[in-house]
Amino acid sequence: MSAATAVFRRLKFSREVVLLGVLIVLMIAMGLLSPLFFTVGNLLNTSRYFVEVGLMALGMTLIIITGGIDLSVGSNLGLVSVAIGFSFAGGLPLPLAILFGLVVGVAAGFFNSVFITFLDLHPLVVTLGTFALFQGMAYGLSNAEAISNFPEWFAYFGQAYVGPIPGQLFIFVVAVAVVWIILSRTRFGRYVYAIGNNEEAARFSGVPVRKVKIALYSGIGLLVAIASVIYTSRVSTARGDTGLGLELDVISAVVLGGASIYGGSGTIGGTVLGVIIIATLRNGLLLAGVPSTWQLFVLGVLLLVAVFLNEFFRRREE
Amino acid sequence: MSEVQAPTPVERADADGTSIRRFLIRPEAPALAFLAALLIVFSVSSDKFLNVSNLESILTSVSVLGIIALAVNQVILTGEIDISTGSMLGLCAVGAGAVATSFGGLALPLLAGIAVGALVGAINGLLVTVGRIPSIIVTLGMLYALRGVILLVTGGSWITGIPPETRVLGTGSVLGISFPMIILLILFLVMELVSRHSTWGRNVFAVGGNRRAARFAGLPIDRVRFLAFVLVGVFVGVASVIYMGRAGSVQTNTGTGLELQVVAAVVIGGTSISGGRGSSLAALTGAVLIGVILNGLVLLGVPGIWQQAVLGALILLAVSTDILRRRLLGDKA
Amino acid sequence: MIGKMNSRLIYAALLVALAVVLASCGVGQNPSQGSGGKSKGPTKICMMPKLVGIPYFNASEKGAKEAAKQLGVQLVYDGPTEAKAALQSQQIEQWTQQQCSAITVAANDPNALAPAMKKAKQAGIATGAWDADVAKDARDVFINQATFESIGYKLVDIMAEQTGGKGKFMVLTGTLTAPNQVAWLKAMKERMKEKYPDMSIASVQPGEEDLQKGIDLTKNYLQAHPDTAGVFGITSVALPGAAEAIQQQGLTGKVAVTGLTTPNDMKDYMKAGVVKKFVLWSPIDLGYLAVYVANAQVKGDMPKSGTFKAGRLGKVKVLSPHEVLLGPPLVFTKDNINKYDF
Repeated sequence: MSAATAVFRRLKFSREVVLLGVLIVLMIAMGLLSPLFFTVGNLLNTSRYFVEVGLMALGMTLIIITGGIDLSVGSNLGLVSVAIGFSFAGGLPLPLAILFGLVVGVAAGFFNSVFITFLDLHPLVVTLGTFALFQGMAYGLSNAEAISNFPEWFAYFGQAYVGPIPGQLFIFVVAVAVVWIILSRTRFGRYVYAIGNNEEAARFSGVPVRKVKIALYSGIGLLVAIASVIYTSRVSTARGDTGLGLELDVISAVVLGGASIYGGSGTIGGTVLGVIIIATLRNGLLLAGVPSTWQLFVLGVLLLVAVFLNEFFRRREE
Repeated sequence: MSEVQAPTPVERADADGTSIRRFLIRPEAPALAFLAALLIVFSVSSDKFLNVSNLESILTSVSVLGIIALAVNQVILTGEIDISTGSMLGLCAVGAGAVATSFGGLALPLLAGIAVGALVGAINGLLVTVGRIPSIIVTLGMLYALRGVILLVTGGSWITGIPPETRVLGTGSVLGISFPMIILLILFLVMELVSRHSTWGRNVFAVGGNRRAARFAGLPIDRVRFLAFVLVGVFVGVASVIYMGRAGSVQTNTGTGLELQVVAAVVIGGTSISGGRGSSLAALTGAVLIGVILNGLVLLGVPGIWQQAVLGALILLAVSTDILRRRLLGDKA
Repeated sequence: MIGKMNSRLIYAALLVALAVVLASCGVGQNPSQGSGGKSKGPTKICMMPKLVGIPYFNASEKGAKEAAKQLGVQLVYDGPTEAKAALQSQQIEQWTQQQCSAITVAANDPNALAPAMKKAKQAGIATGAWDADVAKDARDVFINQATFESIGYKLVDIMAEQTGGKGKFMVLTGTLTAPNQVAWLKAMKERMKEKYPDMSIASVQPGEEDLQKGIDLTKNYLQAHPDTAGVFGITSVALPGAAEAIQQQGLTGKVAVTGLTTPNDMKDYMKAGVVKKFVLWSPIDLGYLAVYVANAQVKGDMPKSGTFKAGRLGKVKVLSPHEVLLGPPLVFTKDNINKYDF
């Protein structure tokens, strides 16, 4: 085997490189399908949607690295939206209502973590339960109604522009930077990988497994809450069905980004690329006039293909 | 998803327990106790609850849920999971409905529904075993992909005009007992037998209880799991014909949200999500429990929008009490 | 180690390539935000139902396509696969980028879509709503199928015919908060109060647009209240559900049932005598009219009052500068139902 093929081989398995290549190919393809794709306006507009999914995907990356999962993020988004809207309608000044929403998001995540850490229950079934519980609470508490009479300035979070760039993109960039630093440069980040590789061993070597998990599930609750503020602001309406179904996009993005669902590997860079790829795909298909029904199918298949390739390459590496 | 586990404690408890203890150790015990308690509470708070027709209508209305839960129970026992059943039901119903409106009769639509279900189940099974993709991801992706397929295949139109002879499984009855209920009970008995007395059934427990040990023992792990997924498809196919019979038409949103209820039924009934512990009785009890609760909520006047919340709370309650009960009874699981 | 360094180089190179690709998009295309304004090209009408995949909105698509063909304009008809306002809002924003000449939408939530529609307006796109309105300042025109009163009154009149103008009735609806369903209920109650004081609505049950649920709810209700004179099923999912429940319980002819839905679902029930008459408007005509109105908006010759000539529909009433009325509701009976196929 020549040196070139050896280098190329090692390259192939660098997750981020492959993804970047996929993204470029995808963008070119979308550009060919519709001349409207490659306008600055369109691209920036698209970036607005992936901020919400992206924020949640950041938290989900860490959780999946530890071998866990959180299916309740979409429902949590709706619950926070209802918390903000209805506390505001109930008389709370809007800044306090937003703060209340953030608290609710974190509390919901903490609620998950209690069942997962203290009762040692599998995250899958706990978050399946809270997926239903949070959604049900969002519907029940809001009585399936919506609140829309927010003051003008609330629209800032979701609809503002700084020059031509959507405001929430800045929030996203900051969040990416913060989470990336936590994961790759702090002891906490090393704990996360350690738990994912072998939880028992990690515990024996002194990793505070329980505290880490509580932090992770509560942390994603905070990210969900921030995403919910942006989402609610984007449509200027608080509704209980906000965010339903987003967990598919979030998990797909993380898995596409290279995280193994069994835990132990994953990067923020990969996740971000995964988020952008999915948003590009959705936007490109829409512009090309592909009906929404096809998009549903494509995304389901994409998730399967992504994980298959993931595990396939991982197995080749071993 | 399945971890290394100690052998199921039923044998241990048998040796040292009184019969009460032996009952409490059974996975279905909390669910059965809860069911009994609920029956009492609802009968007392509403005089419309405890009559034959209401109880019969509860069992009939959970027949679709219960049949699918019996099969998903096996998948969960092997340590996997299947959350694609809602879209599967829709697709099988579309297949069966299309055949029914073109050819009529009962056998052909039933075969069509089962064929579609078995095919989808096989795809799920292959992706999990050969593709080595975790079942949560496979079935999550399939949940969405299949819903897209339904919309694409039907073009958004509903299938109406199902002939009466096709609807017999959903609307007919014998000696006053509805067909859906009869089919549910028959399939329950079949699953009990298969689960306890067939090689495959026993392998399911072994694979779910301790996969590594099962592999060392030379059990065909992939085949066991594959067949479990195909079984789900077959049962969903049967259930789809019952559904079609009861509803009279097939809409594009048929089955939406069902997958959560199915997993809830299995888990609430007492089957462990990690695999290796549980029974068909657990799945049946869980389904009946859900039916009783939803029926009770309606009778008590609880608004429909709270149903999801109740379902979610029940799932959490069920798995928590399962863990607590096992710790109290001295199980290390 | 060498491999890693090289892979970093390639990574950087790909990033640079991405940047070049992105930068090149600024050249040669209109970079302005509102590039989806009134384009000089062929008229493109972008029409969105509440959701795709139900017969009612499939029918409106048929009408819309017919009108687009007659007028020689381009039609994009698409919507989310679930009736969620946030999904609609997102798609409207993307359409705004897509050089639609007009955007017209059947709203799942009148306020949630307002920001997106307002942005479309600002970009110079003609905005409209059909079937279910958005906030009044978020669109230029609303194409209304029939007034809430005419629908509500008609439903009650039909029921009164069949039950002798008295009795207690159950209403099976979609959700308790959908604006049009709420408005119809209000009109129904008004009609009962003024013309049929012996009729009353005893219960309103939400079927949540789930066929099986609607059947079960109706069955349970009728079992608990056997003196019910009739059931109104006021959505396209509720009426078949209610009819099915009555048929299964063997109450055909004893409990009257009417409501709103598309005719194909009802043909068997009508043959069996479960349902004698029911109401709708033609969603095909509604879709057809919506496209005609959008086209007139783009051309600038939308009248502000009086009537508006809409192709094969003839003269349609313009209730105000902002509302166009399709016409009175359609009553389906055994005699005319086979003429319709949607």
